[in-house]
Amino acid sequence: MCVSVPSRIVRITPGVLPMGDVRVGDREVSCCLAYVPEAQVGDFVLVQNGFAIDLLDPESAALSLSAFAELGVLDAPEDL
Amino acid sequence: MVQRWVLDEIIDPFGAKVVVDRAPDGTVREARFDLAGLPRVDALLTGHPVAEVPSLVERLCGVCPAAHHLAGIRALESLSGGVALPTAADLSRRLLHHASAIATHAVRAVTTSRDDAVTLRRFAKEVTVAVGSPGHFPATAVPGGVAVPVDAEARDRCLTLVPAALAAAVRIAERTLPVPGPVDAFTGADVALIDEKGRPDLLGTRLRAVAADGRVVIDAAAAAEWDRLVAEAVPGDPAPRPYLLALGPERGRYRVGPVAQLRIGGLGTPQAAALQADWSRRGGHAAAARTVVTVHSVEAIAALLARPELLDRRVRIDPPDRTGPGVGIGWVDGPRGLLVHRYQVAADGRVSSATVLTPTAQNEYWLAQLLRRAIDTGHDPGHPAGESGRGQTGPIVELEDAIREADPCLPCSSAPVGAMGLVVEETVPDAPYDPPDQVPDPSGGQ
Repeated sequence: MCVSVPSRIVRITPGVLPMGDVRVGDREVSCCLAYVPEAQVGDFVLVQNGFAIDLLDPESAALSLSAFAELGVLDAPEDL
Repeated sequence: MVQRWVLDEIIDPFGAKVVVDRAPDGTVREARFDLAGLPRVDALLTGHPVAEVPSLVERLCGVCPAAHHLAGIRALESLSGGVALPTAADLSRRLLHHASAIATHAVRAVTTSRDDAVTLRRFAKEVTVAVGSPGHFPATAVPGGVAVPVDAEARDRCLTLVPAALAAAVRIAERTLPVPGPVDAFTGADVALIDEKGRPDLLGTRLRAVAADGRVVIDAAAAAEWDRLVAEAVPGDPAPRPYLLALGPERGRYRVGPVAQLRIGGLGTPQAAALQADWSRRGGHAAAARTVVTVHSVEAIAALLARPELLDRRVRIDPPDRTGPGVGIGWVDGPRGLLVHRYQVAADGRVSSATVLTPTAQNEYWLAQLLRRAIDTGHDPGHPAGESGRGQTGPIVELEDAIREADPCLPCSSAPVGAMGLVVEETVPDAPYDPPDQVPDPSGGQ
């Protein structure tokens, strides 16, 4: 099944295909921000296979991260 | 640890990978799309209270949350023995579902028809807000109906946007239809949901399967019959190779999605039906099918908004209080095709086994055929194992076209030409046969 993880943007690198570094769990990974040109550092985005696919408000991100934690695929978020 | 591996796979920056399996003589035995980045979550759901499962699944997915939301609620209602929804609730759910299809399909048009795509996305957003789902994750449906009625002001805002949305959808379709696409050489069946008249219905309660030669394999089956319709050849695998039991594991392979939706019957809205006829004449590829379904969804929304019952305040009934034991099956025909949620529930109301069968999993065999064909037609990627195909021309473009056609549920499916970040991995061909030293047979022969 497709799985997308709420992540917080910590860095943005502008360009034709804008990229961002996002924090997911205890890791930082790079992802493509082309689908969310309005994204800012600090925003939550849904990341799937290297692409941020949509913005999330913090409350919705917390709900999603709780679902991931409940299913055991991600540690409970500590910074929300 | 399995869970950690799952997380690492799904956050992999460039996880789109084609695996080419070669015979010792170098010929291609099989090409397939690697679904490691799309893990099965079924086992994770075991032990959870069944009422929580739909929201857990839609939160995990995120790409098609409306489809999971509606399929999951339908599965819960099925577990209760079925529910006769208030008309207003059925109309609201349909609005959400069609709006979700439009929003998903419109993304494809961003590079060629940006203004029209934005018009469609805004229209879809307005409709989802009107039916009580303002955020990314829908909150419209609840067991027995919907959470809130639609108010007249919200309905009217949507109605004012219909003409521009329909014009945009038709423009995109008319631009896309003449563009050549991959030849449809699929040898399996087409599977989609239908209404009571046998027409494609994205939120239908009946399923139809039509073989490649046009023979109807399943006419109008109900969701409760699912276990007698389809089985997984590799149960629980990310690529389970499901098949129609009526035809067996080989002949019973099938595909779902907009192409299947348009091949199993005539659409019930006028402009989309005319475009569907044109689509059929031109050979029928997926990119054009998505635009025709988009027109259909805009027309369907216009008709739903015009129904006076939409504003009824009675939007929910109390479903029978039965959460187990038993089996609940819910399905929808989402933007990428048939999505099935099947929950088996123990006496304590907790899930004893769950199956979430996605369009991507069902279309994996079709995609494998498309990839094989892309290679067989003389465009062999020929990269050494593990080498990135990014930046290559020709063969990578052909493989990208195959992926766009089958449309696996990955953001890369919507990437511009050459920007999919596709990696081609070749399995190491078997070593040449090296017969073992002759060993005397202790039996003395025979």
